[in-house]
Amino acid sequence: MIGYIGKRMIAIIPIVFIATLVTFALIHISPVDPAEAYLTAAHIYPTPELLAQKRHEFGLDQPMLTQYVHTIQKIAKLDFGTSYLTNKPVWDEVKLRIPATAELAFWSMLLSALVSIPLGILAAVYKNSWIDMVSRAISYFGASIPQFWLGYLLIFFFSVKLDWLPVEGRGSWENLVLPTITLSLILIAVYTRLLRSSVLEQLQETYVQYARTRGIRERVIMLKHVLKIAISPLITGMGMSMGKLLTGTIIVEQVFSWPGFGRYFVDAIFNRDIPVIQCYVFLAACLFIVCNLLVDLVQLVMDPRISAKGRAEH
Amino acid sequence: MSVQHRKSSAFTLATMLLLLFVIVGCSNTGSGDESSSAASDQTSTKSITMSWPRDIGTMNPHTYNPSQLFAQSMLYEPLISYQKDGKLEPALAESWTISDDGKVYTFKLRQGVKFSDGTPFNAEIVKKNFDAVMKNKDTHSWLGIVGVLDKTEVVDDQTFRLTLTEPYYPVLQDLSVVRPFRFLGEAGFPDDGDTSQGIKEPVGTGPWMLAEYKQDEYAVFKRNPNYWGTAPKVDQITVKIIPDGETRVLAFEKGDLDLIYGEGVISLDAFQQLRDNDEYVTQLSDPVGTRSLLLNSSNPKMSDVRVRMALQQGFNKKAMVEGVTSGLEEPADTVLSKNYPYTNVDLEPITYDVEKSKALLDEAGWKLPAGGTVREKDGQQLDFEMIFDKTDPIQKAMAETIQAEWSELGVKVNLTGLELTVQIKRLKANDFDLYFWYNYGAPYDPHSFINVVASPGFGISETLSALPMKMELDDQVHAALSSTDETKRQELYGSILKTLQEQSAIVPISYIKKTAVYQKKISNFIFPANRDENPFVGIELGN
Repeated sequence: MIGYIGKRMIAIIPIVFIATLVTFALIHISPVDPAEAYLTAAHIYPTPELLAQKRHEFGLDQPMLTQYVHTIQKIAKLDFGTSYLTNKPVWDEVKLRIPATAELAFWSMLLSALVSIPLGILAAVYKNSWIDMVSRAISYFGASIPQFWLGYLLIFFFSVKLDWLPVEGRGSWENLVLPTITLSLILIAVYTRLLRSSVLEQLQETYVQYARTRGIRERVIMLKHVLKIAISPLITGMGMSMGKLLTGTIIVEQVFSWPGFGRYFVDAIFNRDIPVIQCYVFLAACLFIVCNLLVDLVQLVMDPRISAKGRAEH
Repeated sequence: MSVQHRKSSAFTLATMLLLLFVIVGCSNTGSGDESSSAASDQTSTKSITMSWPRDIGTMNPHTYNPSQLFAQSMLYEPLISYQKDGKLEPALAESWTISDDGKVYTFKLRQGVKFSDGTPFNAEIVKKNFDAVMKNKDTHSWLGIVGVLDKTEVVDDQTFRLTLTEPYYPVLQDLSVVRPFRFLGEAGFPDDGDTSQGIKEPVGTGPWMLAEYKQDEYAVFKRNPNYWGTAPKVDQITVKIIPDGETRVLAFEKGDLDLIYGEGVISLDAFQQLRDNDEYVTQLSDPVGTRSLLLNSSNPKMSDVRVRMALQQGFNKKAMVEGVTSGLEEPADTVLSKNYPYTNVDLEPITYDVEKSKALLDEAGWKLPAGGTVREKDGQQLDFEMIFDKTDPIQKAMAETIQAEWSELGVKVNLTGLELTVQIKRLKANDFDLYFWYNYGAPYDPHSFINVVASPGFGISETLSALPMKMELDDQVHAALSSTDETKRQELYGSILKTLQEQSAIVPISYIKKTAVYQKKISNFIFPANRDENPFVGIELGN
């Protein structure tokens, strides 16, 4: 097990390396010159002299390879440079915003798990009953409604009309309710359907019929046997969503004025704040890899049919 | 691994994961208490809550982005203040004298002014601020005074002197802008005196002080107890950072916001909807800038004034502006509106006349071939590329309208929606046929406008480059900027504006206005004459 984790951790290095290389290449082939982007962001008129000075300062007059090596060296020390826009270290700015995004990601994940797990199981067990219909309706609604629209609708009803919850901002638990629901709905839609179909699949398996003939109670079959296997695709799905949620739920953060990572990134794109973009891509790559690894580990310990050795080899 | 062992590992891992999530999730839930206290601390004091799309920034008076102009102007004051119709009034300078050669400006500073921390405002600190700004001259080279400023001197405690290398009349206007020439108190200066790298704390002489601030969330400004002027009528201004326009409107409708104001801060539809509601008050400002279309004369097809004139006459400006902006912008007859100094000049408006437009194109040799829809001359089609900001709904709608109207004339327009940064890059590289452009507004105009007419690199001089009288125009601009004679200056402005009107290379489309929406408890809301200043000092709060 430890060996497996170790191997997976080592595998992270080349992936992150490739991610940095791709980001570096994209920035260099983009038509926007980082020196010019800096001056534009600072509202400074880019004269040829100033451009040359800034290019020298940023090391852009160095050979590509030297530039890339410098970038890697700095990233290894978690030094992502300073933001063109605020003149503050990017890492400090990111650290400031990650908690807000993590908070939203956590509650959205929790809410979607709490709703979709029972709903998915019940929809499978009572297939074609009213509860299945309800779960289907929720899934259609959740999957098809655009998030920003749902956000506005919730604000309109629960904040403006009913005056129960605040419109925007971060602070108390009340601020969390609407953005969490907005983010969760699509997750609930996906997870419920995912769990329903995998439970249905397991219910067809011979081991279930065998257990039934042995007279084991339905509830026990469901909780001890079926669910343990059926939940596997859901865990994969949740792991992937976690990565997505942690890298910033851009639209929702914008609609609810949530001071998170996603909103910071959107601003960076508009301002061509290249150090921030670079840091974001790097962190996103790392987060996705770590979430992927966690998913695999959870799967590994939950499903006895998968051996650590077998997994590591695949 | 035994089954039992595996089960317990699974349980441990699952517990650890859950714990990790809980720690991450809960670690910051407590931080909001301050923000809710900030937002709710409004009952006892006379307080106004407004919103702004972006964080107020670092509140450094000598730097630009990300600090927001309105917020900087709440804390820091100029020597001279820009008022309605370009009138210049004393602010931190009580009076000033200009030498006959127009090169030496001597300012008598206002007596008894203190910074918000109680330290005195005097000529020493004025010089220190000027020097800090001039230390990074390149950064501020866009502002005319920076290029001609030679020397700063402390004459005595209350007298400060500026010497220029050559006469430049808009010195006083340049000193009234929000940044960079405003004054930071001694306590705000970093140890090396270089404010370009940051300040210690925002200490100004203005009517407000920054009392509470949470980046990206809110800022609370309180009255400065040491303020020298008339104290503001309200005690506190809370600025909530709401990046999304629709959310801003919803927060306003809920009553969380008392005021929304600015340029393009809410959609035109939302403004209309709020204007139709009797519960709220809405206001439109005087023109703050002109939306124009540049017809690049360096393109051989547009180098002929008859073609440019035909294009200007060939679309219904009034109908387009009414239709696209729902009447919130005003159709513009001249490139600069008349509420700036020197711009109240009689100019012949160029009116919509399709027949005249077609005749002009025929006269210029661009004829419609038999059965064709696009005019041709010497085997070339009369076609242009119009570039616009693809995220700007108004530009897009206007571009499409003009394209349709000009196609009736036999002029083909290809539309290219670009990202703003790319659009600006193409303007500066003179790589465009048709471009939406905006002037700077007060207090920058009209002198900044005529400056870009003559200076290459901003796109305007290039647009005008094929005008037969371009050299003469440039000379007039230089003469106007360095003239010390008011009458001569007015004459020169008149002539420059007349030439531009007749040459039709900068086509005025509409005058942009600021919008304000507020709850009925607010009264005496007046838009500041300076485009970047805040409107809070005069505001009163009813019940």
